[in-house]
Amino acid sequence: MGELTKVSFTNLDKIIYPELGLKKSRVIKYYIEIAPRMLGFLKDRVIVMNRYPDGADKDGFYEKDAPAGIPAWVETFNRYSQTARRDINHIVCNNLDTLIWMANLAALEINTTLSTIDNYDTPDLVFFDIDPEPPCSFDDVIDMALLLKEKLDELNFRSYIKTSGKKGLHVVLPVIKSYNFKQTREFVHQFGKFMARGSDIIVSEFRNSRDPGTIFIDYLQNIRGKTMIAPYSLRAQVRATVSTPLEWKELKKGLRPEEFNIFTVLKRKNDPWEGLLENKQSLEVK
Amino acid sequence: MENDQDTAKPSSRPIWSGSITIGLVNVPVKLYTMIRDQAFSFRLLHNADGQPLKYERVCIRDNKVVDWKDTVKGYEIRKNEFIVFKKEELDAIRPGSDQRIRLDKFISLLSIDPVYFEKSYILVPDKSLDAYSLLMTVFRQEGKAGMGKVTMRTKEYPVVVYEYRGALILTTLRYSNEVINPGDMEDLTKLKKPSEKEMELAVKIIKELSGEFNITEYRDGYREKMEKLIETKMKGEVIVAEVPKKEEVKELMVALQETIKQLGK
Repeated sequence: MGELTKVSFTNLDKIIYPELGLKKSRVIKYYIEIAPRMLGFLKDRVIVMNRYPDGADKDGFYEKDAPAGIPAWVETFNRYSQTARRDINHIVCNNLDTLIWMANLAALEINTTLSTIDNYDTPDLVFFDIDPEPPCSFDDVIDMALLLKEKLDELNFRSYIKTSGKKGLHVVLPVIKSYNFKQTREFVHQFGKFMARGSDIIVSEFRNSRDPGTIFIDYLQNIRGKTMIAPYSLRAQVRATVSTPLEWKELKKGLRPEEFNIFTVLKRKNDPWEGLLENKQSLEVK
Repeated sequence: MENDQDTAKPSSRPIWSGSITIGLVNVPVKLYTMIRDQAFSFRLLHNADGQPLKYERVCIRDNKVVDWKDTVKGYEIRKNEFIVFKKEELDAIRPGSDQRIRLDKFISLLSIDPVYFEKSYILVPDKSLDAYSLLMTVFRQEGKAGMGKVTMRTKEYPVVVYEYRGALILTTLRYSNEVINPGDMEDLTKLKKPSEKEMELAVKIIKELSGEFNITEYRDGYREKMEKLIETKMKGEVIVAEVPKKEEVKELMVALQETIKQLGK
């Protein structure tokens, strides 16, 4: 590959999405092509990889710590972990080569923190994880997201939405770096509580989150070091779905998360999340 | 007539090397493929899981798979009656290649009936540029072609060597017993002479539609449709194609170049 990339590819023939017959080379190609839309968001954020070296249908594994044999040119962020009681060397993806390197490790799912390494304790994203419990339909999830959007609009918050690539939706608010995670967490929790009051299916508390047919507004993701699946990351799902940023106006009943996959996402003209990080807002209610 | 976009890509490796010999004169050459078959080929897959199938030799008596080393060649003399040949017996009568294209006669290229042409190869000088150039130039100037024979891969062919677009070309020819004499076809013995009037009209039509030979006017419609179909399928559908690794890396390189360009904006 010479000058184009520092990554040396391995096992390109390995089938990663067996239902679709997609090889690892196809996964790498996807990440190369999506990179212009993805890298800006990933910049200076800690990455957690979900690797699926034996294919998306087999068990994968989380990799929080930079793996052994990590090339010297991959940026890392070293930090003491309370839970692991040791220093963890986190990966930071600040360039194309790192993204390609992760793809070559069959890191189908790329997760990022809600804060950046220069200010790890201070979130710059507020994350509403809309997580349905069967038999809730995706249409119910859409309804709920639109309701949330209405509320956020009323309060003059600018919100962004993406599919999770699985069954849920993710709503994100970019915020100025003036709050701690406890505050952003409580912010989301308050919204959940408010919405749960007027609904049969929306639940705001973790203890109800596995009740059948409910939708949980998971506020507990707003914790230092916790990660969200990155926009445009592939998912280890049968149809090779992608966690896809959407325009709010695209969100209509009948939409299915499977529509956004390795084949279709690159054909989307615009990036609905373009400029997200330049729109940081205050959480004060005006 | 020159349309370089429409020609096949040259191959990178010679398939044979040796010398053209005319009496005592030697011109060392390498032989390259000139004809590239553009037909699509499909691989046979198992419908259930899309995996490629392989062929095996199965004995028709007990349906058991037979190993290569347990096979011999049989020549069928009557239906299901064979005489058996061992490999050594066949090897003994096979012509050995002596790495020579022996030319023994010079003829006019146009005097060869096209029905005898089989396959063409490009001859490229192997070190001795001057001798090659001399032979090529004299062929071009005199409008002559060299007739002779060559042995390639244990088969002996009659060949003709001539100049074409600044190169010496070798074309293998068919043996006379490989070509059917059309005069022997019964339907052709009953032809009658056309009338003068009919001939006049026919000549007129031919004159009106006269033109130059231009092969690029003809396109392989099936191939073009097939290419489109493949393209469409690749976009949305499942691919379980066995692309060699090298090709895949090339594909990634193209994608990389594009992305690096975009990121540089």
